[in-house]
Amino acid sequence: MATVTFENVTKRFGDVIAVDDLNLDIRDAEFMVLVGPSGCGKTTSLRMIAGLEEITSGTMRIGERIINDIPPKDRDIAMVFQSYALYPHMTIRDNLAFGLKLRHVPKVQIEARVKEAAAILDLTRYIDRKPRELSGGQRQRVALGRAIVREPAVFLMDEPLSNLDAKLRVETRANILRLHQRLNTTFVYVTHDQIEAMTMGSRIAVMNEGRLQQVGTPQELYDRPINRFVAGFIGSPAMNFISVEVGGSGDGITLTAPNVTIPIPPQFRESIGGPGRTLIAGYRPEHLVLGPLGGSTAVVNAKAEVVEYLGNEELIHASCADRDIVAIVDSAYRVRPGDMLELRVPLEKIQLFDPDTNFALSFGAVIA
Amino acid sequence: MSGGMLMAGQRTTHNRARRRLSRIGLYIFLTVLAFIFLWPMLYALYTSLRPYGELVANANGAFSLPKTLSLNNYFEVWNNSNLVQYFWNTGVITIPAVLLTLWISSMLAFAISRYKWRFNLIVLMIFTAGNLLPPQVIIVPLYRLYLLIPVPAPLSDNGLMYDQFIGLILIHTTFQTGFCTFVLSNYMKTLSMELVEAAMIDGAGVFTIYLRVVLPLVRPALAALATLLFVWIYNDFFWALMLFKSGGKRPITAALNNLSGTFFTDPTQLAALSVIAAVPTIVLYLILQRYFISGLTLGSAKG
Repeated sequence: MATVTFENVTKRFGDVIAVDDLNLDIRDAEFMVLVGPSGCGKTTSLRMIAGLEEITSGTMRIGERIINDIPPKDRDIAMVFQSYALYPHMTIRDNLAFGLKLRHVPKVQIEARVKEAAAILDLTRYIDRKPRELSGGQRQRVALGRAIVREPAVFLMDEPLSNLDAKLRVETRANILRLHQRLNTTFVYVTHDQIEAMTMGSRIAVMNEGRLQQVGTPQELYDRPINRFVAGFIGSPAMNFISVEVGGSGDGITLTAPNVTIPIPPQFRESIGGPGRTLIAGYRPEHLVLGPLGGSTAVVNAKAEVVEYLGNEELIHASCADRDIVAIVDSAYRVRPGDMLELRVPLEKIQLFDPDTNFALSFGAVIA
Repeated sequence: MSGGMLMAGQRTTHNRARRRLSRIGLYIFLTVLAFIFLWPMLYALYTSLRPYGELVANANGAFSLPKTLSLNNYFEVWNNSNLVQYFWNTGVITIPAVLLTLWISSMLAFAISRYKWRFNLIVLMIFTAGNLLPPQVIIVPLYRLYLLIPVPAPLSDNGLMYDQFIGLILIHTTFQTGFCTFVLSNYMKTLSMELVEAAMIDGAGVFTIYLRVVLPLVRPALAALATLLFVWIYNDFFWALMLFKSGGKRPITAALNNLSGTFFTDPTQLAALSVIAAVPTIVLYLILQRYFISGLTLGSAKG
């Protein structure tokens, strides 16, 4: 059993608060992804689990054990670094065995574990080579291998794919997931890439400016983002936002902005407040539909400016009353720059945010 | 069209000729420069091959053309100057001093470069500042100090630092450690910090990280510094002259001084001994010149 728990954990570097009062429970055998833009505190949080950064205040546990003052080597963790950090002067075999030798594991056992890890990661052929003789992908696998042989309670990974090319990244992503299923151990994975986070995480913790924004499954974050930051960060291309005004009354309440008309989405009927209130409406590019759509919909009129053809679909950069929006539509429409478009969004896909707090409207009560 | 091509062709030929000319100029310049640098060495070699009588007889002295050239001066200094003893003395001073300097400075550099510590910068500044101090400045207090510091028996035969190998080894180590620490800490800073962190997570303690992770990776810097240190300490004359009373303990450079008397100096024998004394450093340089050159630019750029 290896859960990882942050209890009111804060980390300061001088006057800068890198991680601010973090509370997070990482479950046993879970694949937890910490995601956020650069400087959001995700790597610092990971390094605090590893013991490479001291905690300024709060309590940190692995399982039931408080690890605040326990050195990295005694935390029963292994870490894969962004630069892989392989020992350049050692062969792959020695790189894999180094940690075990330092722990005085019997020789026979070291040999067996190194062999097994090399086999799992398809490194057996390179075992007597030095890291510089391997390709980026192979080095990355050695870094994984070094973590595997240790059989730790928690795997920590700090952007392990960021130095690989796009094709290898997709491949390795699947390999890491396979590894997770096979080892059935807790993984904590840091990335700035929301696609990596969405595809890999059992749960995702989104961070920004040192603060945890939301924790949830990829689907939860995508469907019900807690605030504007999470809504904009999760999903690619990012969600479109427009400022709308509440008008009308009763069943006739609408949200309006230049070139946009949105009947009141049923899920917001209670929380929307009185007429005259300004809100932020958000809708994802992939939820915009060109052409007829059944049910009640919001209508967005826009002028196509740039069209990126992607084969099965088209990415359209359009302007809607001087505001740039992005839409993804079926490529069968063959939209051309300059075309006037009538785009529709199903009402249930609309998100509303309070412009003062930036929280999602439906979550307002929960947060306050 | 063809006219344009012709012109382009002419331009290429013209450029090539110009490049060739500048290259020839460069080689002439380098040859002259090399000759200027080699001149003292070649002149010593030339003088060492001539009999003393010939120099005295000729009005131009050492600048005259030779009648006979022989290796007699070499045989003579070898037989009369007890060179084996002097070379041995040099070895006893130089080798431990080089090793001790590299050992101490690599540990210091490791601590300075890898650990956040309040006095990091101050320590490094003191070492660098100490480097700027000319050795001559401290000779009087050092001399007095060496007469006062007691040293136990196996290390000293007179119970003092003065007139002992240990005294010379330590003063060389002291003076070279600053420079070496500075260079090595800069070199170590270029190693990825993640490497040390990976070792920490792997279970390595501070000393294991130093010995098994960092030290093997700074080998090129250590080799370069070893070469530089060897040449500097080998060539030292000042400390050997000041801190040794017994001629029999002095290194090879001091033996050279023995050959110049108050009233009479034989320049041919002095030249022969100079050539002999220079051989080890030249051989070492030729073997390790790669490291020597990299040593001169070490720490100046990110590795």
